[in-house]
Amino acid sequence: MSLSHAEHIRQAVAAHNARPIPVKLADWVRTSPEGGIAVLFMVVQIACIAGGLLFPDSFRYLLQANIAVTLKSIAPLGLMALGVGVLMIAGEYDLSVGALYSFLSIVAATVANSLNGDIGGDHPSWAAPFIGLALALVLGGLIGCVHSAITLRFNIPSFITTLGGMLLWKGATLLYHGASSLRFKPSEPFATIFGGEYGVIHASIVWFAIFAVAFYLLLHRHRLGNHFYAVGGNRNAAVAIGIKPNRTKTIAFAIAGFMAAFSGVVAATRVGSIQPGGGLGMELQAIAACVIGGAALTGGRGSILGVVLGTALVFTIQDILLLLRAPGFYFDMFVGTLIVVAVIMNTAIRRSRA
Amino acid sequence: MKDSLRHFSPQAHVPVDAPTGGLAPIGAPLLEARNIVKRYGSFVALDDMNFFIGRAEVVALLGDNGAGKSTLVKMMSGINPPTSGEIFVNGKRTELNSRAASERAGIETIYQDIALVDAMSITRNIFMGREITTRLGFLDLRRMEEVAVEILGSAVQISGIDNPRKEVGFLSGGQKQAVAIARAVYFKRNILLLDEPTSALSVRETEHLLGYVRELKSDGTSSVLVTHNLYHAYMVCDRFVVMSHGTKVFEAAKQDTSIEELTDHVIRT
Repeated sequence: MSLSHAEHIRQAVAAHNARPIPVKLADWVRTSPEGGIAVLFMVVQIACIAGGLLFPDSFRYLLQANIAVTLKSIAPLGLMALGVGVLMIAGEYDLSVGALYSFLSIVAATVANSLNGDIGGDHPSWAAPFIGLALALVLGGLIGCVHSAITLRFNIPSFITTLGGMLLWKGATLLYHGASSLRFKPSEPFATIFGGEYGVIHASIVWFAIFAVAFYLLLHRHRLGNHFYAVGGNRNAAVAIGIKPNRTKTIAFAIAGFMAAFSGVVAATRVGSIQPGGGLGMELQAIAACVIGGAALTGGRGSILGVVLGTALVFTIQDILLLLRAPGFYFDMFVGTLIVVAVIMNTAIRRSRA
Repeated sequence: MKDSLRHFSPQAHVPVDAPTGGLAPIGAPLLEARNIVKRYGSFVALDDMNFFIGRAEVVALLGDNGAGKSTLVKMMSGINPPTSGEIFVNGKRTELNSRAASERAGIETIYQDIALVDAMSITRNIFMGREITTRLGFLDLRRMEEVAVEILGSAVQISGIDNPRKEVGFLSGGQKQAVAIARAVYFKRNILLLDEPTSALSVRETEHLLGYVRELKSDGTSSVLVTHNLYHAYMVCDRFVVMSHGTKVFEAAKQDTSIEELTDHVIRT
């Protein structure tokens, strides 16, 4: 009897695996957290490509320069959103990542510049920008640990801790450097590794792709990723089964800080200068990208593909508005609407499954 | 019945220092908790509680809401260490101050508030915290799924579950309970603690579960069944411990009591 039941399940699994590809796709859309947004993304892309083909002069979506600029722009927010997404899945928020993006890129740049890492200097040091980057990454991770320690030790919402962190690091940036912009033209090979270009492919998008794959493996294929989902989805269940939620969440906080630092340095390398207030507002865009990609505000739900698609959709909308020469405030209006639509879609899909 | 006679002979009654009366183990029990006190501020959840689990026996932990049953289970599970008292595992004093310590002591638990994550698949829930991984910590998903199919098919048969990739959030209460049971059964060690395991199960699923508890006993695994359902307890248990206000108020082996007497003790307290 029991053997036949196992056999029954095995047969059901085999039948599930043998579904035709269209059925698999339809099931994926219905069941995965990023399914709805993937459909929306495809629809928007098809519409844009059709628009680009029908009106090549007025809607230059398919122009190589447009594609190159969009790909370049995606990476900083995407890198930040990967860290924010992991933290959201672990059930916490980090509102300070935008401030850290500016603060830590300025730290990296001042260290690199002070060690003769500017490409315009005499015999520039190749190692200096790497030292600056390493310091920024370590600081980013440590600041994430501090946010985690305060949140978990005093049992307060991470929203509050990192809201305080956002203001603190914003102030720290001005205290450390002032309000003026900072030149960051790193020496080679740093400049090529983080700012090189090949056709439409900019180094930053390659880094985004590398980190997206690494985060996919971490989140969906590694024990630690399973623990992120567990502590975010049901903290008590995780505790009951022996997972240490504080340690797991601290790692997630550190990842968010690390990625904010990396994102800031990558963006600074591309632009060649850093504005002290440049990262402000990015934290909300990163959270928006994660939510649009299917991450739950309550934790325990989300995916790396969702974060990537969410980020790409945000930038596609920005690109469309730029191509249509719409005023800048339209961007916020569209992203705001998109967040609500995405959450409604995801909720509807989940309800239909139930 | 032979097992219970071997462990709970009438001559083995009531150690002199036992404050609330009850049976004493013959030989070293698998687990023994002595004079356990658990306080939450001024509230005393366990008050000088004595409890033991013998080898290959099924013990019922009975009592009304707030009697301290779940607190005792959580204490043995290592997630709620006692304020004072001693715990012995195989006669050796042991600190059960973490889930890992409890696992090392051979204890597996099914909780009343089902310890599952709704957003995760059945397979990932079964292996949560104990994933099958490569040396670098990457999940062996294929192996995990194979084992999950075996577990779901052989432990507690769960109607309506035919895909271990299904998210737990889309299962019924009974199905969730059964997944939790299947998980605990797979990782069973010497002692299985079941905190209200049948509360959300259908009649058929309950039958399967209770049958499985009996099977485990014949394999040498002891179980502690916390339940409000005295009929279920009487069906499978060898010994009954009734708790009230954090302490033991009655204890008897099956051959020395009846379901009526147990009911009377639970209601009276």
